[in-house]
Amino acid sequence: MKLRQSLTGWLFMIPFLIVVFAFLIAPLGYALYLSTQADTLVGGQEFVGFENYIFSLTDPIFLEGVKRVFIFGLIQIPIMLFLSTVGALVIDVINTRLSRTFRLIAFMPYAVPGVVAALMWGFLYSESFGPFVGIAESLGAKDFNFFSLKVFIYSISNIVTWAWTGYNMIIIYSALQGLSREVYEAAIVDGATQVQIAIRVKLPAIKNAILLTTIFAIIGTMQIFTEPRILARYTNAVSNGYTPNIYSFNLAFAQSQFNYAAAVSFTLALVVFVVTSIVLAATRRKGRVE
Amino acid sequence: MIKSKKRIAGFSALALGIILSTTGLSAVTQASAAPVKIKVWAWYPNMKEVVEIFNATHSDVQVEWTNAGAGGDEYTKLKTCIKAKKGCPDVAMIEFQTLPTFAILDPFVDMGKYGATNKDGRYAAWAWAQSTSGTKVNAIPVDGGPMAMLYRKDLFTKNNIKVPTTWAEYKDAAAAIKKVNPDQFIATYGNDSGWATGLMWQNGCTPYKYNMTKSKANVGIKINQAKCKSVINYWGDMVTNKLVDDKSFWATDTGKGYDTGKYWTWVAAGWTPGYLAGQLKDTIGDWAVAPTPQWKAGGDVHGNWGGSSFTVMKQTKQPALATKVAMELYPTQNKITKGSAWDIGLNSAFLYPLVTKVESNPEFAGYTYKIFGDAKVNPIYINASNKLGAFEWTPFQDFVYATMTDETTLAISGKTQWSAVLDTVQAKVVAYAKKQGFKVTE
Repeated sequence: MKLRQSLTGWLFMIPFLIVVFAFLIAPLGYALYLSTQADTLVGGQEFVGFENYIFSLTDPIFLEGVKRVFIFGLIQIPIMLFLSTVGALVIDVINTRLSRTFRLIAFMPYAVPGVVAALMWGFLYSESFGPFVGIAESLGAKDFNFFSLKVFIYSISNIVTWAWTGYNMIIIYSALQGLSREVYEAAIVDGATQVQIAIRVKLPAIKNAILLTTIFAIIGTMQIFTEPRILARYTNAVSNGYTPNIYSFNLAFAQSQFNYAAAVSFTLALVVFVVTSIVLAATRRKGRVE
Repeated sequence: MIKSKKRIAGFSALALGIILSTTGLSAVTQASAAPVKIKVWAWYPNMKEVVEIFNATHSDVQVEWTNAGAGGDEYTKLKTCIKAKKGCPDVAMIEFQTLPTFAILDPFVDMGKYGATNKDGRYAAWAWAQSTSGTKVNAIPVDGGPMAMLYRKDLFTKNNIKVPTTWAEYKDAAAAIKKVNPDQFIATYGNDSGWATGLMWQNGCTPYKYNMTKSKANVGIKINQAKCKSVINYWGDMVTNKLVDDKSFWATDTGKGYDTGKYWTWVAAGWTPGYLAGQLKDTIGDWAVAPTPQWKAGGDVHGNWGGSSFTVMKQTKQPALATKVAMELYPTQNKITKGSAWDIGLNSAFLYPLVTKVESNPEFAGYTYKIFGDAKVNPIYINASNKLGAFEWTPFQDFVYATMTDETTLAISGKTQWSAVLDTVQAKVVAYAKKQGFKVTE
């Protein structure tokens, strides 16, 4: 009876397992196998163990890309999450038709495919077709160029912020919706203003939602690919290893180094894992102290 | 009901068969010898019409054409299908500088076995040399990129500035243009490694040595030799002194800049007018062509930028017919008749032909073009193409170009010195080649 029950259980699992195996485990296994081989242009393929991984950790092109996405994340993620949180708190207070419309509009960029968004911003940043160069120059910036080596990283930050602020705002807003209204009433009775309620009551209560969006943002940032890849047409700032994922793509599909590309991808996954673990550990410890 | 329908269908098919077999054999034989389909990847402009012409004039073979992206976009797909050992087209368009990079992956059919030959100098000598390794024929040359200077004739005349014939004069003209309008430039330094290599080629710099048949593992790299450096230093000086702009050639802003007078010249390839024509609205007819400025006054040396060929992939099941397609899409023509493949290639797509019968045809030399104010510009390109010497490429040209572009970008932004660009590229490329198992001669 028990055996039969568990067999039936597995039977129901089969469709799911097939998909997981075919589209997750098998490709990962193959990539892992590739990453332990070396296939030079002259010599043949041979097993090298962790050599590709060790090389990636000292590869200046890879490390430069990792450093770039780190700096990118340190600037972009706080700005985006600050905007998302403020937006969520505001539409939580003014629950009118206006706020519902605003919610929809803020979410809309997320519905635009990344490639389309990148192309669109490519035109908006353009000197002859877009308004922003004119605005920057009227503010006193001379010969402003969104695609120059120095500025381009901020140009991408802006696109990413535009695309994801609304999405994160909705996640935080749903967390706010789940809070008990009685707590606010109690605070109002105690004489708290709306701002005080937002900072003292709501923010601590939605801490987990903010943490969740932070983790998502970190993972997304480390893997950034579409925007620089599409905009590479407009600028030479996008170098061979501009971001780790661009480097991995170029290694595999421009330079035929599939093995090393696989190793770079796994190293990147490891970096993402380590960074998110550190963030999680840090926030947990902080939570305990409080 | 269903059954009866089936029966009727079966009966009518039988009846049709009887009718066909009694009305004559021709219909039956045509049906059994269906033309072989050959898949082609190419990004030539107006390719659709060229394929239609080929299909209309061939009954044994039909081309199924796909535009799999230009240059790098197609190459990523090709490399994937080579690695996967399936999914490649029968015939693929590849640029000359990339042929050895592919050849080392061993994906090409030796077309020499199926009738590809340079008998009677059918193709331009320099292009044929780059299309073969030893006796093996890897590619059929189609179009080249002999370089010349495109310039705004009206602006030079109006402002009484001499059209430069040497690079020294080019620099003087650049300064003069800045005086006319500080927002205008003689050109932009597009930081395109293929373009920069074309200009180094003009200066007699041959940075790479590679012969796959002689030795697969030996490669010569000397990108930081004096003849290459002087070219890069010249442009570095121009960029640093803001005599030229530093925008990419392919940005939409740059294309617009050619039409608004922001850029007065573009030293570019034989195929570039095709691209330029697509960017122009207001200045069609204001452009002209002059030979590439020379390093020595009175010199007549030239460079080449790009150009491409057709290769046949080993994955094909029809190597003979695929070779035929590669050779006959842009065929050897004695006469460039209206509506023929080369008529479209030359007059609509602005290709520079590497098929010598077409190249040396007086009709080609006599063509006039609207964007050049109906001037006959082809003799300038023909002279440049005929003066081109031998040039070799590395079997990892993608990496070389990517490194060159990245190091130049750093120099443009002022992070590194222009004079050190090619030294760094040399060091990085040599290190890469050694890691790939090559024996490097510097």
